Amino acid sequence: MHAQAVPDVPSEAVPPMLSVRDLRTYYRANRLGIKREVKAVDGISLTVRRGEIYGLAGESGSGKSTLLNCVAGAIRPPMEIVGGDIDFAFLSGYGGLHRAPPAEVARVRWRHLSYIMQGSMNVLNPLRRLRSVFVDFAYPHVGGTRQQFERQLHAHLARLNLDRSVLSAYPHELSGGMRQRATVALATVCRPDLIIADEPTTALDVLVQKEVLGMIRGIQREMGSSVLLVTHDMGVHAHVSDRLGIMYAGHLVEEAGTAEIFRNPLHPYTKHLISSLPRIGDDAPRCGLGGAPPNLADPPLGCRFHPRCPLAMKVCSGEAPAMLETAPGHRVACFAYNQSGGA
Amino acid sequence: MSDLLLDVCHVSKIFSRGGLLSRQRITAVDDVSFQIDKRRPEILAVIGESGSGKTTLCRMILNLELPTTGRLVFDGVDLATIRTAADRMMLRQGVQPIFQNPFDSFNPMKRLERYLFLTQRRFLAATQQPASSKAAIDDALHQVGLSLKEVSHRYPHELSGGQLQRVAIARALLARPKLIVADEPVSMVDASLRLSIVNLFRTVRDLGISIIYVTHDLATAYYISDRILVIRNGSIVESGDAKAVLKYPQHPYCRQLRDAVLLPDLANAAADVPISMTGVKGTGEPDRRP
Ligand SMILES: Nc1ncnc2c1ncn2[C@@H]1O[C@H](COP(=O)(O)OP(=O)(O)OP(=O)(O)O)[C@@H](O)[C@H]1O
Ligand SMILES: Nc1ncnc2c1ncn2[C@@H]1O[C@H](COP(=O)(O)OP(=O)(O)OP(=O)(O)O)[C@@H](O)[C@H]1O
Ligand code: SF4
Ligand SMILES: [Mg+2]
Ligand SMILES: [Mg+2]
Repeated sequence: MHAQAVPDVPSEAVPPMLSVRDLRTYYRANRLGIKREVKAVDGISLTVRRGEIYGLAGESGSGKSTLLNCVAGAIRPPMEIVGGDIDFAFLSGYGGLHRAPPAEVARVRWRHLSYIMQGSMNVLNPLRRLRSVFVDFAYPHVGGTRQQFERQLHAHLARLNLDRSVLSAYPHELSGGMRQRATVALATVCRPDLIIADEPTTALDVLVQKEVLGMIRGIQREMGSSVLLVTHDMGVHAHVSDRLGIMYAGHLVEEAGTAEIFRNPLHPYTKHLISSLPRIGDDAPRCGLGGAPPNLADPPLGCRFHPRCPLAMKVCSGEAPAMLETAPGHRVACFAYNQSGGA
Repeated sequence: MSDLLLDVCHVSKIFSRGGLLSRQRITAVDDVSFQIDKRRPEILAVIGESGSGKTTLCRMILNLELPTTGRLVFDGVDLATIRTAADRMMLRQGVQPIFQNPFDSFNPMKRLERYLFLTQRRFLAATQQPASSKAAIDDALHQVGLSLKEVSHRYPHELSGGQLQRVAIARALLARPKLIVADEPVSMVDASLRLSIVNLFRTVRDLGISIIYVTHDLATAYYISDRILVIRNGSIVESGDAKAVLKYPQHPYCRQLRDAVLLPDLANAAADVPISMTGVKGTGEPDRRP
């Protein structure tokens, strides 16, 4: 019932690894009779192709982790998917992991899809040594003997610049970055088809970060895996993401190939994001975006960026701009571009 | 009394870790010394390898961990002499932490506004700030781009990572400390907000509060810090004026670090992160690393 909808990106011969269509995810709470609805993801469509690293960046609180949780099927109240479909190359017809039967979910986890959560350094069970965690979760999907698995694990950890002795440590005995690499190792050792990673390198120094990214790209090359990568680090996006989506206040506001986004950012928020990056050796004072971030329980009408937008026009506070293509593969939701032609 | 706000004097910390048979001693911090002058509030950046002892150093300054050897003196008080709850309270008044992971610093069962009110109340008597705690809290939240209206009634997990980290910073500001120890405070927020927060640090410093800013983001370290310590394997390998050290690093490790920064532009983008091939699925292969 879902498969025939048309994806917004030119379709190719092979079906995409992941397609998200018009996803709406709200946090609904009813406290003391007052209903609150936080529209954290409000109508997002995107496609991750096979063998592609799709990067997502955007304002803190714009719904990136919420989107990833939906894709990974990690849905807990008060989070509710109120509309839209999610399809995978390895699991289609259900409209999302959250609607698939448990047996299918078990089949797909680790082997086909793995999820590195934000703050992943804190998801490890504090009472278990790392080796047991790897044996519990990864070993069943890798096969072979325990010795083979152990050898494979050592090689894999070395690629992440981790000493094998971390396997006999408890999580609290490791630094933040070491724990983060351990969870990256856990999510990648089975070499899944789709890796969903939410800020996987935030706790790492730049040298180690490079190795971790190199390893992820290695898996992507070798296995043809796809990666959905969320990070605030635009330097990381510039270097590893093939395409880039920019989120603001629950919407995807721009999407294009990474080079295109950096060379020719269109949306005023994207422009700001790219120009606000400080550099070593550059002493110019810079400032963050003025104005208050939007409250998603009561988002601004029209374009959600209009209260802070330097280009805001009359129409912007009344109507919401649609996501339209301005050039092949470059989509933007802003009245300053091409809105009359497309809608 | 001395003019030192903080005196870290030949401090080392040794941990042991691992199973019974494979017990290992780890020197997390190895003979580190540095000072912060009371008369010159500053932003002191601490950068360095992951696992090199930065967090351990912060925890010792916050008196959450005792050094194996060496001495830490904060505002004339030797941290080794702190015994009672009242002493600890006094210290916490002076040094406020902001941790790496905001989800760690809040009890998930407690509403955020309660946290802020408790902090406000706890430190109020000592500082004799004018009452009106609600306004003060709202003010602190506004400084980090939030408002009490947005935060009240919410539990920690109902905010995004970046939002929660901003609440943690607002809370630290409420206590009006002399030193803030911020362990990777902006790793979870977007680039624009990151700038707002480090700019806020500058304002805070100009109010007379020193900040120890642990980070992996060399660009903001360059942008905001007065002085910098570069740590590797538990020791300081280079220190000095932040701009000078980052522009013209002397130690080979610092040079490597600076050269590894992934710039947000596209020259050589693909070549900069070498693809590390992982071998064929299912086969364990030998460790290529020395
Ligand atoms: N359990 C919850 N109840 C109510 N609101 C929530 C809940 N969890 C998240 N939110 C809200 O949903 C919005 C999106 O949060 P999300 O964690 O997806 O943001 P994000 O883009 O990942 O931000 P960051 O970059 O800071 O991690 C935020 O405004 C947040 O306050
Ligand atoms: N409680 C502990 N028990 C045993 N070892 C520990 C403990 N805490 C830290 N260590 C070890 O001390 C070393 C330094 O850790 P620390 O957390 O200080 O590093 P860090 O510089 O903050 O790293 P990161 O940048 O990854 O956060 C690491 O090797 C870690 O494994
Ligand atoms: S639609 Fe209008 S308010 Fe929104 S980003 Fe474009 S110009 Fe700015
Ligand atoms: Mg997030
Ligand atoms: Mg640390």
